[in-house]
Amino acid sequence: MPSPFLTPGSSAGPDNIALLHLRRDQTIPTILRTYDDQNLGYKEGKVSNTRFGSFPHSTLIGQPWGSQIPASKVDTGSRGRKGPTKRKAEELDTPGTTTGAEDDTSSLKTPVAAGSGFLHLMYPTPESWTLSLPHRTQVVYTPDYSYILHRLRARAGGTVIEAGAGSGSFTHAAVRAVFNGYPQEQLANKKQRLGKVCSFEFHEQRAAAVRQEISDHGLNGLVEVTHRDVYEDGFLLGDPKTGKSPKANAIFLDLPAPWLALKHLVRRPASGAESPLDPGSTAYLCTFSPCLEQAERTIRIMRQLSWLNISMVEVNHNRIDVKRERIGLDCEGIRGATVYPRTVEEAVVKLQEDDQRAKRLRQAHYDGKENDPEIQEFKARASKDSSAQTSSAPSYSQGRLIHRSEPELKTHTSYLVFAVLPREWTEDDEQKCRQQWPSQKLDAPEPKSGKSRRQAKREAKERCLQEVKAEEQEQPAEEKNEA
Amino acid sequence: MHSSIRPHQFVAVQLPSEQTRLVKLVPNTIVNLGKYGSFSSNQVIGRPFYLTFEILDTPESDGYGLRVVSATELHAETLIEEAEADGEGDDAEAGDGTPMRTNREIVDDASTQRLTLEEIEELKREASGAGKDIVAKLLESHSALDQKTAFSLAKYTLRKRKKYIRRFTILPLDVSLLVNYSLQERDAGRTMELRDEHIGLLGCLANVHHGGQVAMDVIPDVKPNGRYMVVDETGGLIVAAMAERMGILYPRDEEDLDSEEQLTPSEGNEQPTDASGAAPKPYRRVRPRPMSASGNTITVIHAYSQPNLSLLKYFGYDTNNPDESHPLHTNLKSVSWLQLVNPENDPILSAEPPTLPAQELAELKSSKRTAYFFKRNRWERVKNVVNETREGDFDGLVVATLLEPATVFKHLVPRLAGSAPVAMYSPSAEPLVELMDLYSTGRRTAFINKKRELEAQKSSEDDEVDLSSLYEEFELDPTLLLPPTLHTSRVRAWQVLPGRTHPLMTGRGGAEGYLFHGVRVIPTTDHIQAAGTFRKRRKTAASTPTTDQDVEMAT
Repeated sequence: MPSPFLTPGSSAGPDNIALLHLRRDQTIPTILRTYDDQNLGYKEGKVSNTRFGSFPHSTLIGQPWGSQIPASKVDTGSRGRKGPTKRKAEELDTPGTTTGAEDDTSSLKTPVAAGSGFLHLMYPTPESWTLSLPHRTQVVYTPDYSYILHRLRARAGGTVIEAGAGSGSFTHAAVRAVFNGYPQEQLANKKQRLGKVCSFEFHEQRAAAVRQEISDHGLNGLVEVTHRDVYEDGFLLGDPKTGKSPKANAIFLDLPAPWLALKHLVRRPASGAESPLDPGSTAYLCTFSPCLEQAERTIRIMRQLSWLNISMVEVNHNRIDVKRERIGLDCEGIRGATVYPRTVEEAVVKLQEDDQRAKRLRQAHYDGKENDPEIQEFKARASKDSSAQTSSAPSYSQGRLIHRSEPELKTHTSYLVFAVLPREWTEDDEQKCRQQWPSQKLDAPEPKSGKSRRQAKREAKERCLQEVKAEEQEQPAEEKNEA
Repeated sequence: MHSSIRPHQFVAVQLPSEQTRLVKLVPNTIVNLGKYGSFSSNQVIGRPFYLTFEILDTPESDGYGLRVVSATELHAETLIEEAEADGEGDDAEAGDGTPMRTNREIVDDASTQRLTLEEIEELKREASGAGKDIVAKLLESHSALDQKTAFSLAKYTLRKRKKYIRRFTILPLDVSLLVNYSLQERDAGRTMELRDEHIGLLGCLANVHHGGQVAMDVIPDVKPNGRYMVVDETGGLIVAAMAERMGILYPRDEEDLDSEEQLTPSEGNEQPTDASGAAPKPYRRVRPRPMSASGNTITVIHAYSQPNLSLLKYFGYDTNNPDESHPLHTNLKSVSWLQLVNPENDPILSAEPPTLPAQELAELKSSKRTAYFFKRNRWERVKNVVNETREGDFDGLVVATLLEPATVFKHLVPRLAGSAPVAMYSPSAEPLVELMDLYSTGRRTAFINKKRELEAQKSSEDDEVDLSSLYEEFELDPTLLLPPTLHTSRVRAWQVLPGRTHPLMTGRGGAEGYLFHGVRVIPTTDHIQAAGTFRKRRKTAASTPTTDQDVEMAT
């Protein structure tokens, strides 16, 4: 089954994860079902309820991704309250045992449009999943993981070890980075290495939760989740001692004490077990630690274990709000606007008007005409009148465009420590290499007296192309002259 | 991909001064590193990356003149310091015994170094040990060395070592390295001052990844995966970064695919059908047609007649003389703005070369025949690429351009598939702030209301609604992207040494770098009222339909 994370296709299919986008930073992940998998008793089958209305899945399945979906009228009150009654958001995603309602899929009620409320149906991406996933641990967010994966050179066809699967945010991003085909297709093209993520988690429930998510998201075979204490038992797949090596090119350690795991990430482990690293390539490592002490200790061990190019950074990321700031005396009653003179001229005019107004009122007071309707009206009107000349521009383009950081900042996530471990290079390898590339051979005479056939052919072709191009260039040249 | 140094490949040579040079390693040649000496390319080809080599004064018997510096040696000083710190424990900090050294007595002039310039020059000529001797002599001759604190001594040694030690490290040339190289060693403006963190974030926000194998395309009802549009004015850096994420940047080598037959790319290189009715000679071997792949492709949209992708040469792909075996040959497509917006005015598209009957063709001179095929193939290629681009349904859009963002979005956003992301980079905030405003809630609401008004005006059911006045007021359709977001990100580097950990003292200024992100959505044509929690105050003023506001954009 292709994963909607990697190859979403053009429309939402049943039994796949989809994201229901309500508004910025409010997205509900759900598994689309044609039947009421939690047996909640809706006549329309499975229904996702949101603050913007109810959405029977029959109105979602088969719709093109990105569609705006109107809410439906769903009878939430009188349905039979059998089965589980808890309906928290997280409960909604975990598919329960499906019984009962499954048989009568055909007899589902056709939903009726509610007339108000809608959402957008989106395919999941690691970014949107990161923002909507059920938190089990601290999450590695997009600004961090995007930089980490880039620095780790996690690329199509690579293998990534991740320790501390946690909430699975990094897992999804990593599998996208290394993805280059689903395992069942490997038969067609055996030679190519397929990208893979080997995820380790020492908390049993969390490991199980990640495993379940991976399977729900169609990522089986691309992610292998192992329940393991990596400090003790290392990174081999299956059995900790005799298991298969994942042959990783990139390692991400989100652990409280990464230095304890480093002893397993060497070319020749002291225990005599196989190395979890790919013997044929450079290994790139990143550790993710919130405290400086952790990072310092990790770096010390890295130096002792011959890791190179060690560097430590932190990522500062801001989201920026953009809005229009409106200031002016004409802004009375406009939301978010400040009533204050916009210019010195406006202030001067306002002062003069106020003065005149005061004078006139005082005069009226002396004259004893306070209660004249004319004066009353004048009183009421005066404050608004001062700057009556409202701009003709539509309200969305009035005011000054400003940008600023969003009110809540993540000022520190973690220290990221990067390091590389080159391939092992033995004396034997060196000798072989020296034979193949003799050190003293220099400035070999210009290759071949007669050109190879292919080369000659290519040159002939190029000459020909040049003729064609020259021919064509005459026209544009003329046009240019005219211009 | 990057397991060992290959002949004829570009690599980065890092010098002790932390300068980086990009070198193409041609076998049997000498690579000159200026004052640090030189080495023969054969002495590094085939070796692993990230090794540090020291240039020997006298080569070994077989002429090998380099020595691999082990990691332990590279870390030696820090390791010793750490070990010492462990031994001393807290005593060192308490400061009893030896008095704490400070910089109080130090005279800040050059007189402390007793070696004269001439003497140093002399030393440089004679000294052996790849410069280690010079550094040692310099330290010996420094009169105030014993006054220096441990930290300033370390700094002094490091400075001298950077200047004289004859070492170099060979790094693989990948996008990350090229980004830093362009930033530090070249004119950073040419790559729009892009930094690593931007590249990473841009690729993630635009969801750029490998589109899977061909087998996926065989399954009916599945559209080709991984088609991305790119507008790149960084000389090809963005294209390279996206291609790297999609697995099509590096030339295929034997490790990835072992046998010769498989060198033909696997994605969509079907033998062209005899559309022209010509091609009398059968092909000798399957030659991948340029720009022929159907999935996992990058379509570059460019403002001049040719895209500027010169940086791709570092990855073995020269746009002027493309290597047919390179994945970009089939998977990188280019379309000019003219071809996209006004294809009928394009000089190539509008002039279809006449098809010649096979017989007539056979009588042509061979050069004429080649020219005929060239023109014919080019026309077909351009036509196919332009048509498929105009049809749209792309999986993502990545933009880093000098063009006005709104004009780019106007033409490209409608060509995205639903739920496909858009990511745009700009060195400065203003263009993106303006773009954000074009997708503001207020504007969106006004757009919807005006559109509805116009629709209500139409006289009969069959009438096309005249929306021209709508697009006069609104440059682009603000209902096509959700939720527009602006990001900025900066990485801060730290020095981590025993007892001397702190952020680096200096960094690069210049452009801060901003990213715009949004997702293409498909608004319904039905009239939908927003639901949810209205604020009381607004409910009273709900006579004008405040569609969309709360549900989509309230932040």
